[in-house]
Amino acid sequence: MNEKIGRIYFGVLGIITLIFGITDLIVTIGGNDFSWGILEISSDMFRGGWGGLIVISAGLFYLSSLKNFLEIHQFSKALMASILIWILAGTDIFVRITESIPGGEDGPWFNSLEGFLSTYAPPYPPVIFLLPFSLVILFSLSKRKKA
Amino acid sequence: MTLTADERWDLIEKISNKVVTFSKFKHTLKDALGELTVKPLTGIPIAIAVLYGFWSVFSSFAGTLCTDGFFVKLFDGHFLPWIQSVFPGKGGWFYYIFVGDPAADNCFEAFGVLTSGLFVAIGVVLPAIFIFYLMMALLEDVGYMPRLAVLIDTIFHKIGLHGYAIVPSILALGCNVPAVTATRILETKKQRFIMMTLLAIFIPCGAQLGIMQEVIPESIGIVLLYLIFGYFLFGFILNKITPGKSPEILIDVPPYQKPLWNNISRKLRMRLGGFFKIAVPFVLFGCAIVNILYLSGTIDWLARVLTPLLTGWFGVPGETVGPLIAAFLRKDLAVAQLSAIEMSKYQMITSVVLVSIYFPCVATFVMLLKEGWKNLLGSLAVLVTVIFLYGGLINVIWKLLGVQ
Repeated sequence: MNEKIGRIYFGVLGIITLIFGITDLIVTIGGNDFSWGILEISSDMFRGGWGGLIVISAGLFYLSSLKNFLEIHQFSKALMASILIWILAGTDIFVRITESIPGGEDGPWFNSLEGFLSTYAPPYPPVIFLLPFSLVILFSLSKRKKA
Repeated sequence: MTLTADERWDLIEKISNKVVTFSKFKHTLKDALGELTVKPLTGIPIAIAVLYGFWSVFSSFAGTLCTDGFFVKLFDGHFLPWIQSVFPGKGGWFYYIFVGDPAADNCFEAFGVLTSGLFVAIGVVLPAIFIFYLMMALLEDVGYMPRLAVLIDTIFHKIGLHGYAIVPSILALGCNVPAVTATRILETKKQRFIMMTLLAIFIPCGAQLGIMQEVIPESIGIVLLYLIFGYFLFGFILNKITPGKSPEILIDVPPYQKPLWNNISRKLRMRLGGFFKIAVPFVLFGCAIVNILYLSGTIDWLARVLTPLLTGWFGVPGETVGPLIAAFLRKDLAVAQLSAIEMSKYQMITSVVLVSIYFPCVATFVMLLKEGWKNLLGSLAVLVTVIFLYGGLINVIWKLLGVQ
C-alpha cells in the first residue's frame, strides 16, 4: 500500500471511527439505546461509555498516523488503532459466543440450533462494522514486511 | 599492582572494544508499539482498552457462560433437590450445617457446606479464578505487564510505591494469598507494609468479584469506584505517616513476544492448584463455622449488640453481622450471604464495601503473619481505622445525596 492510498484510507476510517465513538458517548449520556437498521448503540455505561472512549481513542490514533504514514512510528499508531478495535469487537463477539451456547434458565442444557444462530443475528454495535475495515492494516503490514 | 582511575577506564575500553559489537540501532515495529504503550498520552487509552477486554471476557466467561449458563442449572435444578432429599436427619443440626435451609430452592440461600459451599467454590469462584489467571498469564507472557508498570509508575509514587506495585495489585484481584508473597518485589519495608495493607483492605479477590458479578451486577462499578478511591486516598495517607524510604527503580522492559502456551499452562496449573489447596477448604470450613455460630445463637447475640453501630454509624441492617463474621473466613461467602438479607440498593453497596475492607480472609491473614507480626499488627490497626472512617464516610455520602 503506498503512502497516499494509506493516508486517504486510514484518514476516512479515522473520521468514521471518531464519529462512531462520539455517538457512543452521546447515546450513553442520553441514557436510551439507539437503533438504526442493523446498527445498535448501547447506552450501557460499560459498553457505551468506556467502549465509546476507546473507539474515540482508536479514531484519534488513525488520524494522528496520517502524516508521514509509512514511517514506522506513525504506522504503529494506525496498527494500534486497529488493535483497539479488535479488542472491542473481539469481546463483543465473545459475549455473543458465551450467550449462544447455554440453553437458557428453563431450557435444555445446550441451545437449539435456531437459538444458537439467532444470537449472531443483527443488530450489531458500531465496532463490528469497523472490524473488517480495520483488518486492512494487516494487508498493509504484509506489504511492509515484503518491502 | 594498582591501577589509577584513568588506567582502569582505558582497560575497560580495550576489553569492551574486543567483546562488544557496535551497530546502528534500528527501530522495529515491536519497539514502536512498545513505546506507544508506555507513553501516558497513548498508553492510558491502550491500558483502558486492555482492562476493558480483560473485564469483558472475565464477566462473560465466568458469569454468563459458566455460572449462569451451566452451574446454576446443575446446582439449583439437580444437585440441591437431590441432596435435600437423600441427606439424612432433616431438621437436625447436622443437616443444617451440611445442607442448610431445607426449604431453600437455590444454593445461594441454602447455606450448607455441601450446597452453598460447593456452589460458591466450584460453580462461581472456580470459573472466575480460571479465566482471571489465564488472561493474567497471557498479559505477562506477551510482555504487557512491565509496560503497565512503567505507565503507572508516576501514580504509584504518590502513594510511596513504584510501577512494579501493579503486579501484587493485579494478582490480588485473583487472590490475595499470592499477592502478599509478590510484595517481596518491592525494595523497602515501608513499601511492603503499604502494599500489603492496601491489598488486604481495598482489593477484592477474584472469588469476591465473581460473587459480586452474580449478586449485584448493576452496582459493581460503584463498589469498585469506592475501593479504588480508598486505595489511593489511604495509600497517600500511609505514605505520609509511615517512616522509611520509597526508592526509584529501573525496570527492564522485554520486547513484545508471542505467548508460549507451555508457560501459560504451567502458571495456570500452579495458581489453580493453590486455589484448590487453600481457598476451597476455607470456603467449606467457613460455611460450617458460620452455621455453627448461627445454631449456637452467637450471631443473633452479636447482631443485637452491634445493631446500634451497624445501623447508626454504617447505615446497614443489623443482620449484616453474620456476613461480616463469615468475611473473615471467606469474603466471597460473605457477599453471597448478604444477597439473602433484605436491604436497599445503597445499603447493599455499603455492605459489600464493608465486607471488602473488613478483615482480610483467614488465608490472607496467615500469609500476612508469615511476613512478620509487626506488619500484621500495623495493617490491622490501619484496617480498623479505615473501616470506621471509610464505612462512616460512605454512609454520610448516601445521606447527603438523600438516597439512604
